[in-house]
Amino acid sequence: MSRKLSAISFILLFMLSFGSIFATGQTEGEVKPIKFGGVWPLGDITGAQASKAAQLAVDELNANGGLLGRPVELIVIDSEFSPEKGAAAIERLATVDKVDFFVGGMSSGVHLGQIPALKKYKKVTMWTGAASHLAEEAVGANQDWYFHLHPWDYNQGASYVEGWNDIAEKYSEISIDRWFLAYEEGPFGSASFEATKTLFADMEIDGEAFQSAAAGGGDYTAVLQRAKEYDPDVFIWAGYAADALPMMEQAKAINFVPRLFVGAPPGWPSDFGESKLAEDVTLYGMWAPAINTVSVKSTLFSVGYETKYNEIPATYFAPLGYTSIDIIVQAVKAAGTIETDAVIAALKANPYESALGEVINFKPSNVISNQGICQQKILQWQNGEQEVIWPFDFATSNPAYPFKGWTK
Amino acid sequence: MINKKIYLIAGIGIAVISAVFFMLTNPTLLVYGVQRAGIYAAIALPMALVLGIVHIVNLAHGEMMMVAAYLSYFISRTFDLDPLLAAIPTGIIMFFLGIFIFKTTIYHTLKAPELNQLILTFGVAMVLSQTINLMATSQPRKISLDYVSASASIGEVSFGIYDFIFPALAIIFLIILMYFLKKTRIGKAATAVGQNPRGALIVGINVDLTYTVIFAVASALIGIFGSVFITKFSIFPAVGGAYTMKSFALVAMAGIGNLPKIITASLILGIAESFVMSIPGGAGWTPMIFFGLIIFVILSRSFRSKH
Repeated sequence: MSRKLSAISFILLFMLSFGSIFATGQTEGEVKPIKFGGVWPLGDITGAQASKAAQLAVDELNANGGLLGRPVELIVIDSEFSPEKGAAAIERLATVDKVDFFVGGMSSGVHLGQIPALKKYKKVTMWTGAASHLAEEAVGANQDWYFHLHPWDYNQGASYVEGWNDIAEKYSEISIDRWFLAYEEGPFGSASFEATKTLFADMEIDGEAFQSAAAGGGDYTAVLQRAKEYDPDVFIWAGYAADALPMMEQAKAINFVPRLFVGAPPGWPSDFGESKLAEDVTLYGMWAPAINTVSVKSTLFSVGYETKYNEIPATYFAPLGYTSIDIIVQAVKAAGTIETDAVIAALKANPYESALGEVINFKPSNVISNQGICQQKILQWQNGEQEVIWPFDFATSNPAYPFKGWTK
Repeated sequence: MINKKIYLIAGIGIAVISAVFFMLTNPTLLVYGVQRAGIYAAIALPMALVLGIVHIVNLAHGEMMMVAAYLSYFISRTFDLDPLLAAIPTGIIMFFLGIFIFKTTIYHTLKAPELNQLILTFGVAMVLSQTINLMATSQPRKISLDYVSASASIGEVSFGIYDFIFPALAIIFLIILMYFLKKTRIGKAATAVGQNPRGALIVGINVDLTYTVIFAVASALIGIFGSVFITKFSIFPAVGGAYTMKSFALVAMAGIGNLPKIITASLILGIAESFVMSIPGGAGWTPMIFFGLIIFVILSRSFRSKH
C-alpha cells in the first residue's frame, strides 16, 4: 500500500513539475524574457498606434540582441475605454503574465480605475495618457515608481496661454483679444470652457454649448451663427473627432470666417487633413510628422514606423507609445538591471531625447514626483500637413493668418 | 365633428401665424427647423413601416442605419463614387441584409411576447455595432464634400441649403410607402397582416413572405438614408443609437400606423428644437424638448381617449 502511494506521489510530482515547465512556456536553458505590459484602447486610433509604436520599439530592441542579453516581450491588453476593463488588464498583467513594467494609457477615466491596481503592485510604470489632475491626485505624492509622460491639464492650459501670448507678441498682426468657445455640452466641453475663462481672464470671452455628434447631435448652426455675430479674433471649438469635418462644413455654409479657427478635440479624424476645409485650421498637440524636419530622433521613429506598418503615425500617441518603452530600456541599460530602485534612479538621472522632439527630464509636478513632458504644441494644418507654429524651437512653419478658409 | 373642424382650423391658423412670425423675426429658425424635421422624418418612416404596419419592434433600427452608412462610405471610397449615388447599391445590399436579419432572428420571435423581440433586436444592435467597431475601429469617418456647404442668403443672413435634401427624402419615402401600402398587393397584405395575422393567413395571404418583404423594404430605405446621412454627419459605431430612440419617439407621437403624421410630428419637433437652440444656452435643452413634447402628446392623447 505504502509502495503504491509512494509511486503515485512520485508520478504526480513528476507530472506537476513537467507541467509547470510547459505552463510557463519555459524549457531548461531558455532565457526568460523581460516583459512589458501595455494597456491601450485598441479600437481607437490613439491606442492602436501607440501599441504598434511600442511593439516597434520592442522589435528594434530584439533585432539588436535584446536587453541585458534577454529577449523583450510586450503584452498588450485592450482597455476598450472602460475603467473596469482597464483595471482588470493591470491585474492580469501583474498576476498572470507577470510583467516587469507597465506602459500605456489613454483616457483619464480609464486611468482613474487603474490607479488602485497600479499602486498595489508598484512596478515601474510609464504612462502615456491621462491629462486630468484628478488622476494625478489619485496617484498621490511620493509614488517614485510612477512616471507620467503626458502633460497634465493645468500644464496644457499654461502652455496655451504662453503659446498664444508668444505668438501675438512675435506676430504683431495677430490679435487674440476676443475669444468665442463653442463647447460640447458634456463634462469635457464644459471643463474646457471654464478653464479657458480662467486662463484667459484678461481677455473678452464668450461661449455657447452644442450637442456633439458623439452624443447624438451634430448640428452646429446655432452656435456657429452666434459666434459669427460675436465676431471673435479666436474661435475655438472643444468637441470630439466626430464633430471636426461637419463643424467646418457648417461654418462654410453660413460663411463664418473667424481670424483664427482653432479645434481642440482629444483626437482628430485620420482623414481630416485630406479635406480642403482643413487648411489653416489651428490645433493643439504634442507631435506632428513635420517635427521630423527639426528632430533626428523623431525622423528615426517615423521612418521605422512607416516601414513596419505602411501608415503614417497620425497621432502623438504613436511617439508616446514608442517613448514609453524606449525610455525604460535606456534606463535599464544604464542601471544594468531591471531591479525597481535601480531603474527608478536611472530614469530620474538620465535625460532622454524623445521621438516627440523634447528632451525628457523627469521632475516633480503639482503632486507626483516624476512628470515627463509639461508643454503642449500649437499646430496648424497647412497644405494637408500639420505644421508646428509654437514653441518656436520646434516651429516648422509660420502661422497662416488670418484664417482664409473658403474665401480663397 | 364640428369640434374636430374647429381644432383643425385653429391648428392650421396657429401654424401659419407662427411661420410668418418666425420668418419675420428669425428666418433661419424656420429653415433649420424644417431641415431637422426632414432628418427625423426620413429615419422614422422605415420604423413606422415595421412597427406601425406589421408591429415588429426593432431596436436595431439605428444600428442598421449605421451599418448602411459604413457600407456607403466604403462603396464610395472603393469605387470613387459620390455617396448619393452609392445609395443605390447600399439600398440593394441593405434589402438583402434585412432579409437575412429578419429570417435568422426576428422571424423566430413573431409569435412570442413583444419583450422577446425587444431583447432580441437589442442583441442584434449590439452585434452590429461591435462588428463594425472590430472591423472599422471607433475612429469617426466622414467624406468631405463641397456641395454640402452650399448656401443661400436672406438679407445679410447666410444659411446652408443642402440639408433640404432630408425633407425631400422624407417626402419621397412617404410617397413611396403610401403607394406601396395602398396600391400594391403585398402592401395591402401587410396592412391586413398587421391588423390580424391569423385572419390574414386564413384568407390565403402568405404571412411569412409579407413580414419578410416589409422588413426588407424598410431596410432598403434605411440603406438609402444611411448614404445621405454620411454626406452631413461623421459616422462611428455608436452613431445609430440616438436615432433608434428618436424614431421610436416619433412613431409613438405620430400614432402607431399613421405614416403621414410622422411628417407633422417631425415638423413640430424640428421647429421646436430649432427655436430652443436659437436661445442662448438652449442647446442643452433640446433633448428635453424632444422627449418632453413626446410625453406631453402621448399623455394628452391618453387623457383624451379616457374622456
